[in-house]
Amino acid sequence: MNFSERRPWFFLLSLLVILPGIVFLILAPGLNPGIDFTGGSSITMQFPEGAGANQKAIREKLQAIGYPESTVQNLGNSTIDGERYDLFFLRTKTLDETKKDVLVATLNDQYSPEQPNTLLSFDLVSAVIAQETVINACWAVLAATIGIFFYVWWAFRKVPRPIRYGLAAIVALLHDTLIVVGIFAILGYFLDTEVNTMFLIALLTVIGYSVNDTIVVFDKIRENVMTYTNRPFPEVVNLSISETMGRSLNTSFTLLVTLLALLLFGGATIREFLYVLIIGVIAGTYSSIAIATQVLVSWDQKTIGKLISS
Amino acid sequence: MRRNARILITIVIITAICGTILGVQKVRLNNLERGSDDLLGLTLGLDLQGGSHLIYQAINPETGEPGGITEDQMKSLSRTIERRVNASGLGEPIIQILGEDRLLIQLPGIRDPGRAKALIGETARLEFKHRTTDVPPKPLTNILTEDVISISADGVSSDKTLKSDDDADSENTSAYAESIVFEFSESGTLKFNEVVANLQFSMITAMNAAEVGSNPPAPARLGVNIEGAETLRFQTNGLQIIRLEQAEREGHKFVIALPSSDTEGTSVLSIEEANAKLGTSPTVNFEISEGYIDEDIGLSGDDLENAYPSQHQASGAPIVNIEFNERGTKAFGELTTEIYAKQQSSGVRDQIAIILDGKELIAPVVNSPITAGTAIIQGGDFTLERVKDLALLLESGRLPVPIQLIQERDVDAMLGADSLRKSVIAGIAGLSLVLFFMILYYRVPGLIASLSLIIYAMIVLAIFKMLPLTLTLSGVAAAILSIGMAVDANILIFERMKDELRTGRTMLSSINIGFNRAWPAIRDGNVSTLITCAILYWFSDQLGATIVQGFAVTLAVGVAVSMFTAITVSRTLMRVIALTPVSRNVRLFIPTGGGEIKDHVQN
Repeated sequence: MNFSERRPWFFLLSLLVILPGIVFLILAPGLNPGIDFTGGSSITMQFPEGAGANQKAIREKLQAIGYPESTVQNLGNSTIDGERYDLFFLRTKTLDETKKDVLVATLNDQYSPEQPNTLLSFDLVSAVIAQETVINACWAVLAATIGIFFYVWWAFRKVPRPIRYGLAAIVALLHDTLIVVGIFAILGYFLDTEVNTMFLIALLTVIGYSVNDTIVVFDKIRENVMTYTNRPFPEVVNLSISETMGRSLNTSFTLLVTLLALLLFGGATIREFLYVLIIGVIAGTYSSIAIATQVLVSWDQKTIGKLISS
Repeated sequence: MRRNARILITIVIITAICGTILGVQKVRLNNLERGSDDLLGLTLGLDLQGGSHLIYQAINPETGEPGGITEDQMKSLSRTIERRVNASGLGEPIIQILGEDRLLIQLPGIRDPGRAKALIGETARLEFKHRTTDVPPKPLTNILTEDVISISADGVSSDKTLKSDDDADSENTSAYAESIVFEFSESGTLKFNEVVANLQFSMITAMNAAEVGSNPPAPARLGVNIEGAETLRFQTNGLQIIRLEQAEREGHKFVIALPSSDTEGTSVLSIEEANAKLGTSPTVNFEISEGYIDEDIGLSGDDLENAYPSQHQASGAPIVNIEFNERGTKAFGELTTEIYAKQQSSGVRDQIAIILDGKELIAPVVNSPITAGTAIIQGGDFTLERVKDLALLLESGRLPVPIQLIQERDVDAMLGADSLRKSVIAGIAGLSLVLFFMILYYRVPGLIASLSLIIYAMIVLAIFKMLPLTLTLSGVAAAILSIGMAVDANILIFERMKDELRTGRTMLSSINIGFNRAWPAIRDGNVSTLITCAILYWFSDQLGATIVQGFAVTLAVGVAVSMFTAITVSRTLMRVIALTPVSRNVRLFIPTGGGEIKDHVQN
């Protein structure tokens, strides 16, 4: 399969996935930041199935008791000791102990009068911490990007023009980040899915994985460039992709299998974290084959400018 | 072969050690003690066993804002809270100072975070103050002559009505108390009303204090000096001043009951006598005598070393013992010496006000100068209960600086247990699927990879247990992810090995070349992951974000171990297999992925 020839299609496909995300990201409301980034309180509660608790009803209840800005998310259901429960994730402004107790008691009376133990977790983040988290998050992503760029540059120092490998790896990494962030902007708009610290961890993991995957292909290119010095660069890249394809797909497959196992059997609380990883692993596998290597080829063929103008 | 045998034995030993570590719930080696009652003796994070995670910000008491907190203050803060939580029986807290002025408190397994928070106390602050009891009166300069419209004497009934003319001669005059009636202007009413409110507040405070303490503070008193035909001076307290509310016009009238004796010692005047004294155009000035003033002498809970209940050696009466540190001893010595000297010279008994969070705990008097740094507090009404509570309050009130809750994360134990169970199931399911896939696809090498994956899992878990590393929900995700990475290393090696086998090399040389060729990719890929981990760790360290930290450390340990198992364990096992007859059947080593062979041939 001639990967290099099809690279405009690869770029186009990526654009088709990324663009809607960017549209949602730029047009309001963009990502739906959780309390980790805005400050406030969040509560996870469970109510017996069939007690009439649903997203809309809980939101109206919260409005009625003075929390009009609250959001409610349905986390799906869980089974504990044979009983089925619906899980809800509530986000409100910062609640002190008393206000929290009142809120929880109100919802208990409504949906779980028999069993008062419905509060599963409570989080409070002050505005100061939230602001620091945002700043630190930006630094973390930036630092990871720069660190990886320099490492790849250094690791490929023996091939001609190693800086291109570093930059291509970063392009692939940004590509994956944009896909994940874009999809979450869309999810945030339609499903109130929020981004929080766990999202950030997942995103950084995706960055790590994406680069890991890219490096394997680059490593093969590094080897083949030395071996087949007289063959044209796109051909060497094609060969390298073919040779690593099996490994790339198998690795992604095993990772996806473990992630799906976590998604199926793991708790509701890390579900969004897993979504990020699953999207990221797919994007990362695709980007190392179709984006990172093709950026190298385009650069070598000096078609980057042409691509932009076309 | 000899080298292989040696490595093989090492691997077996390491596996056996890790297996033992995991098999024994609690590990004891000399002074090292590890393990817990949880799964495999691992230390579980709050999200897997339930509990509370609290971050407090220390506030500079002088500025009311963060900043300017010393390291000693933070250490003292941490110790105080630790002792307080330990004493409560809420479990063992894990307390960590974050950065310069933040404190992370983790309370694993706690069921009632509300109680823990109340106990940790957000602002509790203990102060010792010098209570001066002979405060000179201070004239109320803000009430001007023109604020007072009229002054007269009259009888006032308990329902706040003035004696009417009709009643003047009736028989039940005794129901009316003799009082002076002040009529104020609009602005005067407002100002005087505030004075009265303060007096009444001070009165109530004193009465409340009298109920719990043996040396209640004296309430503030109002001095009334009227210059009329004659001088009329007396003092009154807040409860003897009544604002008339009967009619709207009378809302500007306050009545002050005449005291049983005025300052000159004359007895209660009749209304007629009082009016005679007032004359036609009396003027008045008021003075406030504060019952006491608490003077800050810079002695706080910070300086208190210890407080405990006991009984007086001679009388057996319950007492509270207090001990000060060096600085406290000096300040307390000076204070008691000064108070005692004043008592000797003037007879005025000043007190030491002990105030917790702005609320008076007790205000003992001083019987002698105390310069040794240890003192006892005794009171006539002290019970064993009371001294115990008092000692506890003194102890718990010793936060050196006020603190403020800035982050909280509570997880219910039920949710934690549920998450743990689900993580275990997910982990086993994920691992089994991967092993199944590896064996199915890669045959004999897959089997070897599976074996080394199991060894990998044991080593990682044993390291977690021995470090010890707290396993959190995100850590479980990281561990499972690192399984994926460990598999990746194996896949890389096998793919390379397969290439070599296809070119017709011998098994052993294919293995060696395969491993050597795969190494740079494994190294570079894992280093980039380690870079991400380091950044995540740094990022979380800034914030005390334990979930992030758990994830980063878990992933880093996983990646590091995976490099060892993929290279050393898998390779040695492969070499050993290569020497057995199994290796002659090459088909057991090459997957029958037809599409892939075609790809390969094409290129």
